[in-house]
Amino acid sequence: MVEIVSPLEPDYRRGAHGNREGGSGVTLSETQPGSIVQLAAWPGQDEALRKVIQTVTGLHLDAVPGAGAIVENTAAFGFAPGRWLVVDQAEGRGETLRDRIGSDLGTVCDLSHGRTAIAVEGERAERLLSKLYALDFSAGAFPVGQAKSTAHHDVFTLIHRTGVDRFDLYVYRSFARSFWHLLRASAEEFGYTVE
Amino acid sequence: MSPRRAHNGGRIDRATRLRFTFDGTAMTGHAGDTLASALLANGISVVGRSFKYHRPRGVFSAGIEEPNALVTVIRGKLREPNIPATQIELYDGLTVESQNRFPSLSFDVGALNSLAGNLFAAGFYYKTFMGPVVGPLKGTRFWMFCEHFIRRAAGLGRAGYEPDTDRYEKMYGFCDVLVVGSGPAGLMAAKRAAATGKRVFLAEQEAEFGGTLRWKSATIDGLPAAEWVAATIAELATLPNVTLLPRTTVWGYYDDNALGALERVSDHKAHAAIGEPRHRHWTIRAGDVVLATGAFERPIVFPGNDRPGIMLASAAARYASEYGVLPGERIAIFANNDSAYEAALALKDAGAEIAAIIDVRAGVSLSARELAREAGAELLLGYAVTSTSGARRLREIEIQPFADGKVKDGATRAIVVDCLAVSGGWSPAIHLASQAGHAPQWDESLRAFLPPSPTQRWTGAGAFTGAFSAAAALGDDHAVNEPEIEYEPAPVFEIHPTGKKSGKAFVDLQHDVTASDIRLAHREGFQSVEHLKRYTTLGMATDQGKSSNVPGLAIMAAARGLPISEVGTTRFRPPFSAVSLGALAADRHGHFKPQRLTPMHDWHLARGARMYAAGLWYRPMIYGAGGETVEQAYVREARAVRASVGIVDVSTLGKIAVQGPDAAEFLDRVYTNMFSTLPVHKARYGLMLREEGIAFDDGTTWRLGEHDFLMTTTTANAGKVMQHLEYYLDCVWPDLRVHVTSVTDEWAGAAVAGPNARRVLEACVESTGVDNDALPFMGIVRGEIAGAPVMICRLSFSGELAYEVYCGAGHGQHVWDALMAAGQPFGIVPYGLEALGTLRIEKGHVTGAEIDGRTSPRDLYLDWMLSKKKPYIGSAMVDREGLVAPDRISLVGIVALDDRPLQGGGHIVEQLGEEPRGSIGHITGFCFSPALGKYIALALVKGGKARHGQRAFVSDPVRNRYGPVEIVSHHFFDPEGSRMHG
Repeated sequence: MVEIVSPLEPDYRRGAHGNREGGSGVTLSETQPGSIVQLAAWPGQDEALRKVIQTVTGLHLDAVPGAGAIVENTAAFGFAPGRWLVVDQAEGRGETLRDRIGSDLGTVCDLSHGRTAIAVEGERAERLLSKLYALDFSAGAFPVGQAKSTAHHDVFTLIHRTGVDRFDLYVYRSFARSFWHLLRASAEEFGYTVE
Repeated sequence: MSPRRAHNGGRIDRATRLRFTFDGTAMTGHAGDTLASALLANGISVVGRSFKYHRPRGVFSAGIEEPNALVTVIRGKLREPNIPATQIELYDGLTVESQNRFPSLSFDVGALNSLAGNLFAAGFYYKTFMGPVVGPLKGTRFWMFCEHFIRRAAGLGRAGYEPDTDRYEKMYGFCDVLVVGSGPAGLMAAKRAAATGKRVFLAEQEAEFGGTLRWKSATIDGLPAAEWVAATIAELATLPNVTLLPRTTVWGYYDDNALGALERVSDHKAHAAIGEPRHRHWTIRAGDVVLATGAFERPIVFPGNDRPGIMLASAAARYASEYGVLPGERIAIFANNDSAYEAALALKDAGAEIAAIIDVRAGVSLSARELAREAGAELLLGYAVTSTSGARRLREIEIQPFADGKVKDGATRAIVVDCLAVSGGWSPAIHLASQAGHAPQWDESLRAFLPPSPTQRWTGAGAFTGAFSAAAALGDDHAVNEPEIEYEPAPVFEIHPTGKKSGKAFVDLQHDVTASDIRLAHREGFQSVEHLKRYTTLGMATDQGKSSNVPGLAIMAAARGLPISEVGTTRFRPPFSAVSLGALAADRHGHFKPQRLTPMHDWHLARGARMYAAGLWYRPMIYGAGGETVEQAYVREARAVRASVGIVDVSTLGKIAVQGPDAAEFLDRVYTNMFSTLPVHKARYGLMLREEGIAFDDGTTWRLGEHDFLMTTTTANAGKVMQHLEYYLDCVWPDLRVHVTSVTDEWAGAAVAGPNARRVLEACVESTGVDNDALPFMGIVRGEIAGAPVMICRLSFSGELAYEVYCGAGHGQHVWDALMAAGQPFGIVPYGLEALGTLRIEKGHVTGAEIDGRTSPRDLYLDWMLSKKKPYIGSAMVDREGLVAPDRISLVGIVALDDRPLQGGGHIVEQLGEEPRGSIGHITGFCFSPALGKYIALALVKGGKARHGQRAFVSDPVRNRYGPVEIVSHHFFDPEGSRMHG
């Protein structure tokens, strides 16, 4: 297969950056999933569609807004009424899901090229994201597994909390490099590592 | 005598010397000093000149309320004016200048204004600068003439011209309890809330927490107050649920308990750390708010009350106790309440001589008498200060007997002092409460406005509520040992001397508003507090009347013969204190206007493309080929497309996946033409209207499957079209089973156009044929290019044989490279938007310049697209009278008959005259046409087609372009379309 070129090149510089006096407060990385697939259910078909997600990915999603789950290389989460994102490090998940989701259930839209996934991880992750989004990132208000749809200025972002101090961000590919600059600049004061 | 550093005492770090300069003079201070305390320690009495009269002024307070000591902080080429010296933390290398003086602080020509004092009374400008009825300076012209000079003479500091290079950022905070203020009440509130496990933010506008406890003599639980504060803060700092925010001013209280706060992150440092902003703006959403914002001490208004050396009593005590600075050697106290007696003792303990305590009251408490005795002060009860003297610093005061609110005739007594500490009572800092509450409540015993009843979720604590003692703030949990103070003042706000005593008695020191100005406003009918404020400027500018508001109202109330409670007060609006514009703009300023880049962006740059912004997108305008003009470049590019083949990046086109069993039906409703009849693997050009029948957007939509369409929109309208579709699906036709998703970023697109386009594809496309049978006009095939899956649609914007090649965005550069390599033998040329525009103008295709929100489909000769077989959005209105009128402006072609370039926006007129008028339309797009060898344009002209062949003129007065043109068909080139169908 042809390799997918990251939109963050040539500004993706691995290593330690920013204020390094206090060590590295946050780690930034592009996770480059092989599949990013949007699933959308027709009204009344939410549960059936969540069952398909469970069958295909093994991930159980609760019937509440923003519910998500993670297991190893796969994640899934709701980001709007009747809409979910399924993310997999393996390519081709879109095809598998398309085969399982008939037109009576909903639609499948492959966004593997169209969204860029950036993980923000570390003890200052909450603080860093608090600079960009008007969201409460504390564990109580935003528990592990949950996802939220939000925006920083013009950059629409889906945020999935995949760990106690880890958030996976999905932004539109065309905005990704600009957003990456902002993320790096915002992380400078903590010291950050690009992996 | 001058103020000086006390030999010992204070909480400054005497071991650390910090250098700073004031008006170019090198001075030193200590860590823990503010600029104000360091200036006093260096013997500086005069720190600025007053607003109108240019009178010498000294430090008056020790806090945010400072009206006088405003300075300009200089960092390199940057100037930050009007910063209170009391709020500037000293750092090594600090450079400041005084303000509003010329040529120097000690000799200021503006001080002559003082001699003409009565001229500059309230309303001076309104009355004086009405010009004569006739003549060159009649009416407001006279004001405009004078304004320049007045603005020079009046005012505060001068801002710099250099762009601000500092960094600012925003932060969003969420908490259960926000405590504003960290005096005793704030600390207790934070402790109590933290103990219940709540998330607590504690915001303190100064560098250190503790408020008055940092300099008061009280002990708490046997510890000196400052040590108790340190222990409490250390304890709070260890709690994970507590966020301490020093140097953070909560400045605005907005709906739903959202508060704005400004954190001064690095103002106190010579250099910010890496990545550290200068200011950080916080938007805090709090479950509950505790307002523990304390109180401001008020001055008393008396003649000569602005002389350097006269300051608030609590400020004098704070300079002595916290900063180890004596504001004078021989100090008098002038008060109407007990709190100043405590200040007297603090000043005496720091080494000053307390010459006298002058109190307007006839009798005071035993506790106050004891404090006076300990301070060694002569207690002069029933007296008032009626005059002061001293050139640049207070030298002497005069006092007279005072009873029943009046100065009594009788002998005056002079007292030689170099500092007068004044206390006229206390006003709770109710500003935030006023923003989130009803009208403030006047308290007759405290002679102050108390917090209003709340309209949001806040409670008050401590001095903010009118309970001024530390014991009251701390509650019963702690044993507090502090002097017993009666805070209730005598109802004396102004000393109005009898006889021939004169001298300005200032109410608002910052704006030079005197007691006489207020009485003048009263006489002239500006009696409402709102009118008073605007007429006299009382309470305006940077201090917002924090110390002058209540005395001013009291004087107006007296003039009107009404109680203050009936006169009322102005309401406080945000901000509580100055907020830097940089912090409000934060990352919107310079740094973060996001750019949208196509997958081939870097390639364009490497090929010398000159880019321009199309909304947030960046697109190549032309590719530079060494020394070409823009016109030469696009003509070369367009010519290459017509002659052989060119390639253009079309990734920015809006792309929307329209999916679901009802997708075709939905498209039939949103487009004017039919899509349900479109076969799978075919594309169709579509036109959308707004409901009122005006053209909205156009583009091709590709049918990829029975229930699966890919809609393309213009780059500029992608977002609007998406909203339009979502609106109709969510609100108008929720029964339709259709999902729309933005897939603009999913696909990279390259249009390959020109007579050799097919041969380029044949050289690189695998797994599918691209010949006319496999890929007819408007057909779609899927295949591979260099191993990457692609989707190819044969459609043309240029009028040439052309294909749009779409692939996953991450493969965009890879596929583009393969297309360029395949095109090499045909001399493939990348072309930019200018050439794209040229090709489309030659073909007469419309874009946003013609679909401009005013044109109907008929105006653009797109009525062939209006289906008569079905309704669609806009169909009910598209035939209305106004939209079918024959004199509407309609699309035509224009050819310049003088071989000179045309420009967008230029008018088309029937005749040229001296003053051209009578426009019949305007140019929407223009170029030099390499195919025709002429300057041509598209235009919207009255009558449209009916004018083909007519002579007219371009009239463009803005760019001075006039000349003859011919109106022709907008299909300039290959009107039969033989090239693209070939």
